[in-house]
Amino acid sequence: MQTIVVLTMLAALGLAALGDPPAAEAQRKKVLNIAAKEPDTLDPHASILGQTQAIVRFVYRGLTRFAIRDGKVTTAEVDPDLAESWTLSPDGTLWTFKLRKGVQFHKGFGELTAEDVKFSFERQMKRAPGTRFGVNLGVIKSIEVIDPHTVQIALKAYDPIFLLRMVGYQQGYIISRKAAEKLGDQFKWNPVGTGPFYFDRHAPREKVVLKAFDRYHAGRPQIDEVHWFDVPEDATKLIGLEKGTFDLLYPEAVTADFADQVKKMGAVIDRRGPGGQERFYINITKKPFDDIRVRKAFMHAIDRKAIKETMYPGDLARLAISVVPPGYFGHVPMEFPEYDPDLARKLLAEAGYPNGFTVKNYFISKSFFYPKVLTLAQEHLRKVGITVEVQVVEHATYHENIRKNLNPFVLYGGTRITDADPWLSLFFDGKEIPDPATGNKGTNFAHYRGIDDLLQAGRVERDQKKRAAIYAEAQKRLQRDLVCLPLVDVPGQWARNPRRVSTPFPPDYGEFSLHYSYNYPELLKIVN
Amino acid sequence: MLPYALRRLLIAVPMLLGAMSIVFFAMRILPGDPCLAMMGDQATTEALADCARNLGLHRPLAIQYVDYLWRSVQLDFGHSLRQGYPVSAYIARMFPHTFVLVVASALVAALVGVPIGIVSALKRRNPLVDYPLRVFALLGLSMPVFWLGILLLIVFSLHLDVFPLIGGGDLDTVIAMLGSGEVFTYPGDFLAAVGDVLYHLALPALALGLTLAATVSRLARSAMLEVISQDFIRTARAKGQGERAVVYKHALRNMLVPLLTIIGIFVAIALTGTVLTETVFTRPGLGKMLVDAIGARDYPLAQGAITVFTMIIIVVNLVVDLLYAVVDPRITYR
Repeated sequence: MQTIVVLTMLAALGLAALGDPPAAEAQRKKVLNIAAKEPDTLDPHASILGQTQAIVRFVYRGLTRFAIRDGKVTTAEVDPDLAESWTLSPDGTLWTFKLRKGVQFHKGFGELTAEDVKFSFERQMKRAPGTRFGVNLGVIKSIEVIDPHTVQIALKAYDPIFLLRMVGYQQGYIISRKAAEKLGDQFKWNPVGTGPFYFDRHAPREKVVLKAFDRYHAGRPQIDEVHWFDVPEDATKLIGLEKGTFDLLYPEAVTADFADQVKKMGAVIDRRGPGGQERFYINITKKPFDDIRVRKAFMHAIDRKAIKETMYPGDLARLAISVVPPGYFGHVPMEFPEYDPDLARKLLAEAGYPNGFTVKNYFISKSFFYPKVLTLAQEHLRKVGITVEVQVVEHATYHENIRKNLNPFVLYGGTRITDADPWLSLFFDGKEIPDPATGNKGTNFAHYRGIDDLLQAGRVERDQKKRAAIYAEAQKRLQRDLVCLPLVDVPGQWARNPRRVSTPFPPDYGEFSLHYSYNYPELLKIVN
Repeated sequence: MLPYALRRLLIAVPMLLGAMSIVFFAMRILPGDPCLAMMGDQATTEALADCARNLGLHRPLAIQYVDYLWRSVQLDFGHSLRQGYPVSAYIARMFPHTFVLVVASALVAALVGVPIGIVSALKRRNPLVDYPLRVFALLGLSMPVFWLGILLLIVFSLHLDVFPLIGGGDLDTVIAMLGSGEVFTYPGDFLAAVGDVLYHLALPALALGLTLAATVSRLARSAMLEVISQDFIRTARAKGQGERAVVYKHALRNMLVPLLTIIGIFVAIALTGTVLTETVFTRPGLGKMLVDAIGARDYPLAQGAITVFTMIIIVVNLVVDLLYAVVDPRITYR
């Protein structure tokens, strides 16, 4: 048998030697090799998948961008990008943006004009098939082209986070009107933007190739080509990082083991805030959780620190300190019931459950952090007498079931525009209560209505200090009513081979971003 | 034989329709829908309704089903819900990668498994030979392909650096050159492309082939045992023929019929094996595509992939049945 194996290998090797050696070409060209999953489209307005949002940042830009302050990128402030300046009318509803002159679209689609800006937003507002972020532009009443380099956007009402909406991220990306109209359905795989890299080709289930854009308005990137490989397995990604096949990894999940291996091979992990927060929402309309003593017992039963240390030991994440994570406008630290199983049992007894109770048919996704975090929580709850009978299901099924209110408490994670308004609105606004009867698939899993008035007030308030006070009050009420237990804030994390690629920002929280990737891929450099 | 083959092909039509219907409904019975899978935690009610309308999923199931069958009959398998590519083009791109993997791992499995099976049957009374071979078979049976795959990658790709980590090689060029006839004008380029494909194929074929070799060796062993205990073998020995002649002249030829059956079964097993192999070795192919498509609830893509799998199995079984008549003149089809 051995002979056969060896012969097969030798034959393959011999033939392989005939293949062209890519080494010489790679030396000449500066190629950045990224291992991630494959994007589902390259239309920046059409996908919420992490890998898609990460790759489109290489190709597109927005009117504004997250600011660089003191050598770090912050999500709390914006700087001009495709717009060089802007003004807001005294009544707070009319924005006038002056576009940077001479910004070119890829592939000869000409100079960026106000028409492209109008088109990019309107296609989303009109819900062009496949677009996903129109809802984030719902505040816009109309868009008017004043001249080729001036665009006026009229709002229905003052919007405190409008400049954040204009950041090159999701709805904020500007695409070429000419290209989109000419290519129609083909645009998703023939993208045309103004970003530092242009799309070259896509080999499905293999890779996407991007090339440096010579006429990028802020200067051509140092990297010549980006090869974005479709690699589903983290184990394969790690082998590739060590071998030198890949320079950057976008992992599915960063575990302690993963971080250890990255460190051992001399690579680094770039951590970006604010990342995603993992938390439990407790449905206050489901028995026995309608009793606040039971919710309190639930929170006292769960050892958040143990979960954090088991899942994300050391630097891998931070213990959550508020339902509005740090890095979001309006964040204030909150307090949550400390881990105290004795007190939890006492509270359960007071509520009429001296022997605890059983939660039957509890669903959990088999993907990401869900099954692991839930298993830990299940064990903590069991110690105080709450038995959770778990069924593991596909991720899509999980999303469906939690919107049918099948789980009395819901484990959930996510990232949003970095302001308390959109964040709290999605998870605690009465309008977002999921209801299979009406088809509402919102994400207010706690079925909470206690801050609707504050959310309403916050949306019209123009004084930033007063806004901050409103959201502080909202967090206070959420703390009082015990409807949400945030567990951890997990940063966005990529592994990087520093001997191959450099970034100007420090690895540990040197960047805040929303799209699971580097804010400025044009600043990445191949170092040898 | 031709009328028989035609009849079999005709029977394949309802079989195919049945398989397609099962897949259609099975995909839709699975909880979760493609829109939710696409939008994850940002799915608002309006966005979900928009998405369903855009994908045509808001229509009654019966209408979707009839539409699907009617289009399939015209060889229009629709577009991938996720990436928007036509399913037929997608499959045409993925199929060759899976095809070469199945063929190569079949070769490995046959070259390794059949001799082991035969030797272990012939030397079954010699524990020094039979036991190690049976242990090998047991190891192969209990070693999952993803584990062996990672192991091979660590040894041959990472440490020895003789094989690549990912990819399927330059199969596009091979196919294009074969199609355009350039293979004769630029034989050097063609060989280089073939070399690249083999270079990428070696480890996946070895991983899948070795795990399958165990099954093949077990099947070959029992086939050989059955043949070797037949009367004509005893007669051959009684005539005074040497053991070598008995095995090569009589036993091996008569083993071909059960062996063909093994190959038929093997293709089905190998096809399912590609799902994991392609994922571990990050090769493009139908298996990897199918897993992604099911996870994303990309109905048309999953339906297309399973239809192709079904067709392959039907065709392979037909070919195996026809080959019976070739290797055994006693079998005729009318």
